Amino acid sequence: MKEKIIAFIKNDITNESLEDIELQDDLLGTGVIDSMGMMKLLAFIEKEASFKIPPEDMTVENFMTLENILGYITKQNNAGLNDA
Amino acid sequence: MTHNMMDNQKDMFLPLTQSQLSLWAGQRMHPDVPLHNVVYTFEIFGAIDEVIFENAFQELIKQTDILRTVFTEREGIPYQSVKPRLDFNLEVVDFTKKTDESFVENWIYERTQRPIALQEQIFDTVLLKLDGGRYLWFLNIHHLVTDAASNAIVYRRMASLYAEALNSGTKEPEAQNLFQSYVRYEERQQNDSENEDYRNYWRTKTEEVVEKPKLYGKKASEASTAAERIVVNLGKERSSKLRALAKRPEIRGWTEDLTLFNMLSTLYFTFLYRVSGQKRLVIGAPAHNRVERDFQHTAGLFIEVLPLMIEIDESDTFNSLLQKVKIETNSYLRNARPGMAGMAKDRDINTVLNYINVDFPDFNDFPTKTEWVHNGHMDSTHDLRCHVYDFNGTGTLHLAMDLKASVFSDEKAIHVPEHFLNLLDAFLEDINLPVGKPEILTSEEKNTLLDVGMSLPQSQNAILEYFEAHASKRSNMVALQYGDEVLTYSALNKKANQLAHYLQHKGIQANNKVALHFYRSTDYLISVLAVMKTGAAFIPIASDQPAERIEFILANSGCSLLLTEKGLIYNLNWDADKVIELSGKKEEIDLEPSNDLDIVCGPENLAYILYTSGSTGRPKGVLIQHKALNNYLLWAKDAYAINEKSMFALFTSIGFDLTITSTFLPLISGGRIVIYKENTSGPDTAILKVLDDNLVNTVKLTPSHLALFSGRDLSTSYIKTIVVGGEDLKVTLAKAIKSSFPDGIKIYNEYGPTEATVGCIVAEYNVEKHIATSVPIGKPISNMQAYVLDGYKNLVPKGVIGELYLSGIGLADGYSDAPQMTEEKFVENTFSSNSKMYRTGDLVRMNDHGDFEYLGRTDDQIKLRGYRIELTDIEANLANYPKVENCAVVLVEDNKTIPEDEVVNCTKCGLPSNYPDTDFDANGVCHLCTAFESYKEKANRYFKNDEQLVRLLTSKRGQNPNYDCISLLSGGKDSTYVLARLINMGLKVLAFTMDNGYISDQAKANVERIVESLGVDHIYGETPHMNEIFVDSLQRHHNVCNGCFKTIYTLSTQIALEKQIPFIVTGLSRGQFFETRLTEELFWDDSLDTDKIDDTILEARKIYHQESDAVKKLLDTSMFDDDEVFDKVEFVDFYRFSDVSLEEMLVYLKDKAGWIRPTDTGRSTNCLINQVGIYVHKKELGYSNYSFPYSWDVRLGHKTRDESLEEINEVIDEVEVKRIMQEIGYDKSEEDWANNDKLVAYYTGDPDISVKDLKAFISEKLPSYMVPTVFKHLNEIPLTNNGKVDKKGLKNLNSIQLAMDTPYTAPRNEIEELLEGIWKEVLQLKKVGVHDDFIALGGHSLAAIRVTARINEEIEVNFPLNKVFELPTIEAYSNFIEETLTTLLKE
Repeated sequence: MKEKIIAFIKNDITNESLEDIELQDDLLGTGVIDSMGMMKLLAFIEKEASFKIPPEDMTVENFMTLENILGYITKQNNAGLNDA
Repeated sequence: MTHNMMDNQKDMFLPLTQSQLSLWAGQRMHPDVPLHNVVYTFEIFGAIDEVIFENAFQELIKQTDILRTVFTEREGIPYQSVKPRLDFNLEVVDFTKKTDESFVENWIYERTQRPIALQEQIFDTVLLKLDGGRYLWFLNIHHLVTDAASNAIVYRRMASLYAEALNSGTKEPEAQNLFQSYVRYEERQQNDSENEDYRNYWRTKTEEVVEKPKLYGKKASEASTAAERIVVNLGKERSSKLRALAKRPEIRGWTEDLTLFNMLSTLYFTFLYRVSGQKRLVIGAPAHNRVERDFQHTAGLFIEVLPLMIEIDESDTFNSLLQKVKIETNSYLRNARPGMAGMAKDRDINTVLNYINVDFPDFNDFPTKTEWVHNGHMDSTHDLRCHVYDFNGTGTLHLAMDLKASVFSDEKAIHVPEHFLNLLDAFLEDINLPVGKPEILTSEEKNTLLDVGMSLPQSQNAILEYFEAHASKRSNMVALQYGDEVLTYSALNKKANQLAHYLQHKGIQANNKVALHFYRSTDYLISVLAVMKTGAAFIPIASDQPAERIEFILANSGCSLLLTEKGLIYNLNWDADKVIELSGKKEEIDLEPSNDLDIVCGPENLAYILYTSGSTGRPKGVLIQHKALNNYLLWAKDAYAINEKSMFALFTSIGFDLTITSTFLPLISGGRIVIYKENTSGPDTAILKVLDDNLVNTVKLTPSHLALFSGRDLSTSYIKTIVVGGEDLKVTLAKAIKSSFPDGIKIYNEYGPTEATVGCIVAEYNVEKHIATSVPIGKPISNMQAYVLDGYKNLVPKGVIGELYLSGIGLADGYSDAPQMTEEKFVENTFSSNSKMYRTGDLVRMNDHGDFEYLGRTDDQIKLRGYRIELTDIEANLANYPKVENCAVVLVEDNKTIPEDEVVNCTKCGLPSNYPDTDFDANGVCHLCTAFESYKEKANRYFKNDEQLVRLLTSKRGQNPNYDCISLLSGGKDSTYVLARLINMGLKVLAFTMDNGYISDQAKANVERIVESLGVDHIYGETPHMNEIFVDSLQRHHNVCNGCFKTIYTLSTQIALEKQIPFIVTGLSRGQFFETRLTEELFWDDSLDTDKIDDTILEARKIYHQESDAVKKLLDTSMFDDDEVFDKVEFVDFYRFSDVSLEEMLVYLKDKAGWIRPTDTGRSTNCLINQVGIYVHKKELGYSNYSFPYSWDVRLGHKTRDESLEEINEVIDEVEVKRIMQEIGYDKSEEDWANNDKLVAYYTGDPDISVKDLKAFISEKLPSYMVPTVFKHLNEIPLTNNGKVDKKGLKNLNSIQLAMDTPYTAPRNEIEELLEGIWKEVLQLKKVGVHDDFIALGGHSLAAIRVTARINEEIEVNFPLNKVFELPTIEAYSNFIEETLTTLLKE
C-alpha cells in the first residue's frame, strides 16, 4: 500500500517531479500536495482500500503525512473487520 | 499529454461546456448588456515599448486559442470555433496630458461597457499611456472563454512574451495547451460512468428545494442585471488575524487557502442568516476544475458554480458553524469535477462566494497594480456576490461585494459590507460567540433607527378639559344618541358631574379604582366621565364576562366600587355594599350638585385598567395612565381630523381598548357618539345596524367587522373615516372596502397592543402604494418609539424581520398586581436610559418606505374575530375541570390556505393551485396533466365511435317499437347537440327535460323550438322537493348540480321503466367523465379491459343510488333496491362515443338545431341556479367547482386553457344568487363564510366526560368568544419530535372530523396506516382517525372506486367496491383485510 501511494503521488499529483517521500514529510505544509491533489489521493485510497472516506474524516491530522495516512487506513480496515 | 495533438485534427465547431452554456443563455437574454465583460486593468509603473508590446500581443494571440475563439449559433444552439488567425493592431492611446484621474476612470468605465461581438472577436484591449511614466494595459475578455485563473495565465504569458521579445527577439513558440481539450474533456466527464457517484451526490444535494433567502427582507429578483460593486480592503490587521486563526488546529483545513475559504464561508452564511432570518441556506461557490496538470496552464473558462448547503441552528457559535462548513466543503471538494454543474440544479442559488486564489506578478519587473473592473452588471439570477482576492500579492485580502440594484437600494448597499465586517470582527475576536449575538449595525444606522419620531406637546388634563370646554361652549350640541334618547353636551356634563359628586360621597378619591359593568348605553358613558372627574380610574367590564372572571378582576384590581345596571347584577362573591346598581340610585344622584369638580388628573394618574386574556388562565389588568391616554387621543384627533362634525358609532365591546377611541375622541372634539345596543345573547352584529342606519361618518372597528360589509350597497354611506384595528388588515379587504364606499373615504390601519394604549403605529391605506398581502401598520405616533430586535435584543438592519419592542409615553404602567409578569414584559430600554420597552411578541419588519409591516406572532397568542386570546389562558382553565388530564387548544382555520391573489394556474390545463392537493412541477404543470400523460393512451381506448353508439342503441329494438332511447334534454348546448345528433343517426328518441324550477325562459324556448323542429316527443318532469334537494346538495357537495343530476337520473329511470325504454342517453361531457366516472386508478391495470371498467362504474352507480341523501329520502327510489333495474335500463354517455370540440358543436347547433344561446342564464346555457352552486362552492372551498372538469376538457383538447379560465373567472351576480339561496332555503350568510376559524380544545383523561358539562364549566370561567366551539377527546396529546405538543398536527383535523362523536384515534398498525394514507389522499384530508366514517367524511361512489383500487393494488387482493360502504371505518376495513388475508394463507 505504501508504495502504491507514493507512486500515485509522484506520478499523478505533484506538480514538479519529486524524489522520495518520507513517512514524516508534511505533504500539505510543504505544498507537495494541494487541495485538488488531496482529493485525487482520497479517491485513489478509497478505490485501493475499498472503503469510503466520510467528509468528517478528511482532516489534516489524518492525511498530513504518509505515516498518518497509513495509520488512518489501518484504523479503517480494523473497524471494518470488527463490524463483520 | 496527447490530448492536444489528437484534438487539433478534429472538426473545429465544438459545443459549449455547461458553464459556457449558462453564460451564453444569460448573455442572450440581455444582448445589449455587458454583463459578462471580464475587464482587468494593469497599471504598469514603467516605460513600455509600444511596438514590442504589440508584437508580443500578436504572438499571444497566436499561442492562446481562447483569444481566437468565436461563437456562432445554429438553430438556436451555440457553437464555438477557433479562427486559425486573427489580425490584430494594438490601439494605443496617449493620455499623458490628462492629469485628472477621473478622466481615465471614466474612459475605462465607458470602454468596459462596449459590447463584445461574440462572432467576431472575443476580446478588446488597449494600451494607455498615462502621465508620470505609467502605462495602463486595458484587457477585456468575455467570460465565455475566461475566468480569474485564466486571466492570470494570459497575463503571465503576455509578460513572458514581452520579456522575451524585449531581450532576445523571438523564440520558438511552445505548443500551448488548448482550451478545446478541456471542452472535450468536460463533455466526456459528463457521460463517464466513473463519475456516477459524483453525479448522484449533486443530484441528491439539490433535490430538495431550499428557499432563496430574502436579503434584508427583499424577495429574490430576476428582473434585471444592473449591479453595484463595493470593494473593501480588509487591511493588514484583519488579514493577519485571519491567517493566525487559520493555523489553529480546530480550524485548519488541508491548506491555508482552504481554511480561509471555510472561515469566510462561515461568515458569509452567518451574514445571510442574520439579514434574512433563514436558517437553511445554499450558496454557490465556483470550483476551479483544473483537475489535470495541463489544465493548470490552460487559458479558458473552467469554473463551475456548485452549491454549498448548510443548516444553522439558533445555538450555533461561529466555531460550531465552522465545523459544519468544513464537512460540507470536504464533500464539495470530493465531488466537484468538470461537468457536474449540470447535475446540480442552481435554481435555489441567489448568492455566491467566490474565493479567488490567483495573483498577478509585476509586469517586466515594473511595479504593477492589477485591478478587476466591474462592468456594472451581474448575473440576473444572483442578488449578492462576494469575491475574495489578493491580486497584487500584498498579503491583505480584498472583498468585493456585487449587489443587485433591484434588491439593494444605494442606501442599503453601503451598509452591506459594513454589516459583514462587523461580523468578521466579532469572529476574529471570539469564535465561540453565538452567531446571533454580535451586533451587525453601524452606529450611524442605529442612530437613524433610534431617531425619536415626532413629539407633540402634552396636555395635562386633555379629556376633561376639552370635554368640559365643549360642554360650556356647545352646550346644546348633541353629545350622545342612544335610540330615541339624546343627551346634549351640557346635559351629559351635568349628569356626569352629579354622579361624580355622588361617588365622592361614597368615598371615591383620586387614584381609586371604580369598575364599570354595563351594556353599551348612555349610563356607561356617563359613568366613565364621572369616575374620571373624581380623579379615579375606571375598569370597563363587558357584559359577556362570566361572574367568576369579574370576581377575579374586582379583587385583583383593588377597586373600591362596582357600578352596574339592573340587567347585569349577579350574586357576586364580593362585598354587596360596594356594588351600586345605578338605576336604583337615580333619585339620589339627581340631588347632587351639577358643577364641574375641577379635580386635575396628573399625567401619572391612572386613567383606566383594561383586562386582557392572560396566558396563566387569569386575565391581566393593563394599567393606563392619563399621559398615555392623552397622547393617543390628541394624536388621533389631529391625525384623523376629528372635530365637532365627527359622528362616531359606539358598537364594539367596552372591554376592548379598541372602543376607547370611539368613547373619547368625539367627546373631546365636540362630536357625537351614536350608541348601538348590544345583543344580550348571540354574536353582536351591531355593525350591520350601523350601516343600515347610516347616521355616522366615523367608525373604529376590526377587519372581521369589515368583512361583513361585503355584498352591501355602500355607495350612499356617510362614513368618511374608517379606523381599523385589532387584527392584520389584508390588502384585498382594504381595496374592496375602498371601492365600495364613495370616493374620499379614508382608511387607517391602527396597530397597538393594549399595553401601548389603543394604537401606537398607524398607516393610512394607499391603493397604489400598498400592494403586498397585508396593509403595513405604518409609523409610530407621537412620542412613541418602535424597535425591531433579534433574539439578543440587537437592532436588526432595516428590512430584516424581528420582534417589535415599543417604548414611549403610551406604555402602560405594567400589570395590576403582577410584578413578575410586568418585569417580564416591560424590560429595560437599552436604547434610551431611564425608560422601559414593552416586548409585544409581534414579528415585524420595516419596509423600504420606512413603514412597519406586521408578520405574525412569536407565541400562542391569536386573534379571533378581533379578540386577543392567549390559547394558554383557555388551556389553563380547561385543565381545572376534574378528570381532564392534559389539554391543548388550537385555532383551526377552516378554509382557503392560499390567498386569492397568490393562486397560479397549471400552464397546460389551467387547474388552480388552490385546488386541493395540487402539485406543480418546475414548469408549472400540474400533477393531473403529468399523470395523464402516462395513461392517456389507455384512456383513449375507453372512448368509442358513432357507429358503436348506433349499434348499441338499436340492439334492443324489440323491446319498444316507439323509442330506442330517452335523451336527457336540459336545454343547454351539450344535451341539445346530443338530441340533434341522435335524430340525425336515425334513432327514435323520447326527449325528457327536468324542470328544476330554474330553467330560464330562453332555455325553455330553446327546448320547445328544438323538439318541434326535430319532430321529437317530449316530456317535462319535476318534483316538489327540488328546493330541499338543492339545499342538501349544497350542504353535502357545495354545489347544486349533484342533487339536480341525481334527481334527473331517478326520474328518467322511472319513466324508462314505465315505458320499457332500454336506454337513457346523457350529455355528460368528457371532462365530466373524469370528474364523476373515470379516475386514474381505473387505468392502472396494464391490460386494459374496458368491460371491467364499465363493470366497476356500474358498481359505483349502484352505490350512488343507495346513498342516503335528500334524493333517496324524498323521491321514490325503490326501483334501485333491485339490481335488475340496471339490466333493464342502461345509461349511455353520448360523449363516450362522440368526440366534438366546442367550436364544432356550436356550429352544428346553429345550423342544424336552431339552438340560440340564452342571454338570461349567465355561465350556464340553460339554468339559473347553476351560478348559486358556483358561488357557494367558491365561498366555501376557495376554488371554482368547474376548475376540475374544465381542466379535463382542456387536457382532452375540447377547450383551450384561455377559454377555460375565462369561463371560470366570470363574474357572478351576487344579489341574484343570494335571492335564490333564500328562495330555496339555504341560509348561510356572510358571517358564516367570513370567518370559519374555530377554537378547538383537545383533552385527555376520562373519555366519558360530557362535552356539554365541559362547555358549561368553561363558559363560567371565560367570555363566550373564548369558549371553544369543539371539544375532542384524545387518548393522548400528540407530540412533536422535540417533545412539544404537536399543535400543527392538531390544527389539521377538519370540521367534519371534529364533529364526529367518535374520539380521534391514530392508526395502530401497518394495515391501518396503509388505509389512512389512502383515505387521506382520496378524501383530501390531512388526517383520518380509525373510527371516522367514510361517508360522513365525504366518501362517495367515485371515492370508493379510488380507495378500493388502491387497496387492491397494495394488498393484491380484489376487494369489492361496496365493502367500503359496508365497513366504513378504517378499523372495520382493516380487520376485514386481516381476516381475508389469514383465510387466504390457510388455503
